[in-house]
Amino acid sequence: MAQKNTFWRFMKGQRFRYVSAIGAMFVGMLVLAERPVVFKVAIDHMIKGQDAEGRWVGWLGGSLLLAAVAVIVITVLSGLFMYLKGRWAGIASEAVARDLRNKLYDHIQHLRCTYHDTADTGDLLQRCTSDVETFRAFLAVQGTEIGRACIAVLVVFPYMLMVNVPLALMAMSVVPVVLGFAIVFFVKVRNTFRLCDEAEAVMTTRLQENLTGIRVVRAFARQDYECEKFADDNALFRDRRFRLIRIMAVYWSVSNLLCTCQIGLVLLTGAYMIRGGSADAGGLTVGGLVAMLFYMRMFLWPIRHLGRVLGEAGKAVVAMSRLGEILDVPREESHGSGDDPERLEGRIEISGLNFHHGQVQVLDDVTVSVDAGQTLAILGPSGSGKSTLVNLLLSFYDYDPGDQANGSIRFDGRELSSMDQKFVRSQIGVVMQEPFLYSRSVRDNIRVGHAGADEEEIISAADSSCVHESIEGFDKGYDTIVGERGVTLSGGQRQRLALARAILRNPPILILDDAMSAVDTETEQMILKALRDRHGCSTTLVIAHRLSTLMHADRIIVVEDGRIVQEGTHESLVDVEGLYRRLWRVQNELADDLRAELGGDGDSAGKEGDDAS
Amino acid sequence: MPLEQPSDYTVRRFSLDVWKKFLREAAPYKKHMIALIACAVVLAVADAMFTLMLRWVINDLQADAMTSLWPHGCVYLALAIVFASCVAVFIHLGGKISTYLSYDIRQKGFRKLQDLSFSFYDTRSVGWLVTRLTSDCDRLTRILAWGTLDIVWGGMLVISIAVISLILNWRLALLMLLVVPPMAVVSLYFQRRILHLSRKVRKANSHITASHNESISGVRTTRSLVRETDNFDEFQALTTTMYDSAVKNSLLAAMFLPIITSMCAIAVAVSLWRGGVIAQDNPLRIGEMVAFIHFALHLFGPIQEIAARFVDIQACQAAAERVMDLLEIEPEIQDAPEVTRAISQRQANGADDDSAMDGGDNEMHTIEFRDVTFAYESGQEVLGNFNLTAKAGQTIALVGPTGGGKSTIVSLLCRFYEPTSGQILINGVDYRKRSLHWMQSSCGIVLQTPHVFSTTVGDNIRYGRLDATDEDVVRAAQMVNADHFIREMDHGYQTQVGEGGVKLSTGQKQLIALARAILADPQLFVMDEATSSVDTETEGLIQQGLENVLGGRISFIIAHRLSTIRSADSIVLIENGMISEQGTHHDLIARKGAYYRLYTNQFQREKQDEIFRGG
Repeated sequence: MAQKNTFWRFMKGQRFRYVSAIGAMFVGMLVLAERPVVFKVAIDHMIKGQDAEGRWVGWLGGSLLLAAVAVIVITVLSGLFMYLKGRWAGIASEAVARDLRNKLYDHIQHLRCTYHDTADTGDLLQRCTSDVETFRAFLAVQGTEIGRACIAVLVVFPYMLMVNVPLALMAMSVVPVVLGFAIVFFVKVRNTFRLCDEAEAVMTTRLQENLTGIRVVRAFARQDYECEKFADDNALFRDRRFRLIRIMAVYWSVSNLLCTCQIGLVLLTGAYMIRGGSADAGGLTVGGLVAMLFYMRMFLWPIRHLGRVLGEAGKAVVAMSRLGEILDVPREESHGSGDDPERLEGRIEISGLNFHHGQVQVLDDVTVSVDAGQTLAILGPSGSGKSTLVNLLLSFYDYDPGDQANGSIRFDGRELSSMDQKFVRSQIGVVMQEPFLYSRSVRDNIRVGHAGADEEEIISAADSSCVHESIEGFDKGYDTIVGERGVTLSGGQRQRLALARAILRNPPILILDDAMSAVDTETEQMILKALRDRHGCSTTLVIAHRLSTLMHADRIIVVEDGRIVQEGTHESLVDVEGLYRRLWRVQNELADDLRAELGGDGDSAGKEGDDAS
Repeated sequence: MPLEQPSDYTVRRFSLDVWKKFLREAAPYKKHMIALIACAVVLAVADAMFTLMLRWVINDLQADAMTSLWPHGCVYLALAIVFASCVAVFIHLGGKISTYLSYDIRQKGFRKLQDLSFSFYDTRSVGWLVTRLTSDCDRLTRILAWGTLDIVWGGMLVISIAVISLILNWRLALLMLLVVPPMAVVSLYFQRRILHLSRKVRKANSHITASHNESISGVRTTRSLVRETDNFDEFQALTTTMYDSAVKNSLLAAMFLPIITSMCAIAVAVSLWRGGVIAQDNPLRIGEMVAFIHFALHLFGPIQEIAARFVDIQACQAAAERVMDLLEIEPEIQDAPEVTRAISQRQANGADDDSAMDGGDNEMHTIEFRDVTFAYESGQEVLGNFNLTAKAGQTIALVGPTGGGKSTIVSLLCRFYEPTSGQILINGVDYRKRSLHWMQSSCGIVLQTPHVFSTTVGDNIRYGRLDATDEDVVRAAQMVNADHFIREMDHGYQTQVGEGGVKLSTGQKQLIALARAILADPQLFVMDEATSSVDTETEGLIQQGLENVLGGRISFIIAHRLSTIRSADSIVLIENGMISEQGTHHDLIARKGAYYRLYTNQFQREKQDEIFRGG
């Protein structure tokens, strides 16, 4: 269920600490507001003929040394509270960010595969990183800045009123003016900011494109042309940013002028009131005037910054709603009943299975069964429904066996949808055409699904999938890091590594989804032989385009448009007209081709073609 | 995601040389810099003047000498205006220096990148290079403008405060200023620690981003391996590391300000106490005491700023070195001095005969690899004593296993790299004695991973010849059988292809790249797996188109597809950097060696794929 994306929601667990931070800031300001009072009392006391007023008088007893000590004590005490504010706000915002990151990570891992099918990876990543950072920065920086400005006005105003009411009102009158100016200004320049960001993005993209395509640039000797193009974007960015800075120059100098003039006005009005005698002054003293000026400094600076801070806070609101969108997506729920066996034997029965992707029927009345330890080969053009079948077996997609029309999938006689998905997946080893490898060492990549494996088992798995020698050939052997910072593996190496990873887990069911398309034929045969030697351990499903991969299977099915159109063994299918037979005939075509090329000595070539099969 | 190098997080030792070089780059803005510094000085002095203003008003009040407030008001207003205009001017100047200098450095760096050798690109990722010319460059110019401003302003403010207070009361002034050195030391210490910790935070953050990325793109694998919990545990370890450093950092920051303001308070207290004792006897010096308090309260701002900027400069050391290195590095492959001379001579003479820009032959009749050996910087030899000759009108097909050295031959041919030993001769002349620009503009190269720019389809093709008419573009597209699909797109040739060509399939991108090369009308045509993602039928059509274009030229083709290989005049099988077989298709089949095996395998693959596509 969607919750409202309030700050409160994301602050869970840290709410008290964050509120305490604001509280500490309030106390700290309150303490600091006493400092000008000390100045006032001390100054007024010095001036003979004037009776000092105020709460510190009796206390200080006119001793300047005590006043000086009071200044230090007040500053240190206020500093202590400000430290607490920084401490609590820091811990709270970091903890919120950490929890949010963890929650997002865990949540995304548990979203349905149908969500991941359509999700934009870049966008998701962006939300998990920069949106979290925006929110964190809001809590740590903008939140406390806004609190600081409000508290400063709130705390200082009564103090100023105590000094002198008309002067206090005059001093405060600048607040709405500066604040209004700041807000209006930052709303107005928002567009300028955007234009500047856009120009920067265009410039960066141009640079990036040029560098990724540097070979093309060289190949056509377009260096000068590229420089001209880049100069345009570079200049646009420069001009827009300079324009932004010029506008900011106006803002900061005008708001500076406003504030200094206001201080000057208060100073001179105060002086005028004091000079006129106590009748007009309403008890204003020189000390009072000095205190007033210090108070003004306490709130003017935070107020001037508020426009910018509020602008940043707007971004945090957007970030929160983007994060909320992810967190509101429901997770995959386990439909296990808790009575799953320890290990499956590997018998698979699929009967009358239908599956729809939206309006499109992807699987149409598929019925097939495989006994434990047997190999089933699936042959079919792309888009025939093979991958959907794999996704269903892995419980990545849900089907509803409650409805008779949907059919059923049973492992060892148990309905798939009544078992825990994680259990089902733990029983299946799957290798995809384009396997995903983690950017860690080769060894870790092999044992990633079976953390307890020892070196011997790892090497044996690598050996079975014919990748051991390649690994040994790397400079760092099994410690070679895979991926961006490490060695780039070829497609075939990646596939074989993924196969080793799957074999090591020794699963009851092994699915090879076009998993050896990038492996050369000879190696493939060695791998298949190794897999056959392990026969009996795993029920194997092989999806492939190559005859050499398929022909040794116990049973072969040919799938077209979601339907099983042919079924049998190599021997039986070769005799029947169909996709399988057409693949088989390629051997003969090769022989013909070679014969045509070589003329007379074609017979022997034909024979060798047969041997290769 | 740009790669971050480990060195991005280490603090470099400060070295003045780099900054001197950087200042040389900034030389055109010398006047602006001087004005900026002048501005900072005026700003600091005006700042101190406000405090004197306060003293003046208070003293006049005490002395009952205040007959009129007008002089005070006028002086104050003048000060306020000077101050505000200074603010406006320095922001303007700083902005001018930082944005314009950024532009200059970027432009210079970009130019440099256009000419740098590929060996330079081999060891650096694009993201890394982009960062040099974007954020690194901006950081440097910002430091120059705002760092200078802050340091001059801060320094001048401290000096002004010191001078004025010494004049007012030197004994008290010395007492007050006593707090400055410890404040400076504490500031530097904290800023340095904060810098160090924030680097740790950034490093942890980049690990978290990488981990997130891996989790999202590998989600199916993770789930099929039931690794959700393990992954989550590992991720939590990362976020905990980040949390620890970040909290440490914010605690340090939270501690810094209270400590430094408390130190300030000591100066304030001293001013109040000692200044007060004096003022008690002489109320006319109350203004002086208030001024001292004011000064004392103002000390921490400039000191904190100066410390922060010094640490910034230190933090930018690595960035400065990287940017300056880029501006200074010399391309490994460039025209020989005599070639440069020949080119300028020819330009001066305005020769208009048929010879090339460097005065050499404009046409390519033969290309010869003579005893060419090539090894990458790592020392790994990929080509050894390679010999091959191609004549005009010939098509040479290079075949063999991945990593055998085929692509290296292409790179050498286009002079992206030069042989480690041996020669490549064009019409019998070593190509190092020819102009690089001429050589590369005479080659048409189509690579396996086709690159398209984020502009229209038409402009992408026109990249091959910038002055080509629309008809020329269409003709080139027709020749590679791309015209049809282009016309079916929403805006035809005017369709935007998106960044990296996201709206196109790889096969379509390959066709566009091919059309681009054809439009360039090169003398030497090189295709490196240029049609690997195009279906067989289209490839057959392209083949016919190409044969018309290629007549009389030299072409080198790396391909898997048999149809492409078979029609070549000469097939060269390359294994482990050597030629293992060479001849026509017929010869090589008859030999029944490696090529024969390669052919029979590939034949079966292609036919079987065809059956699947055909259904």
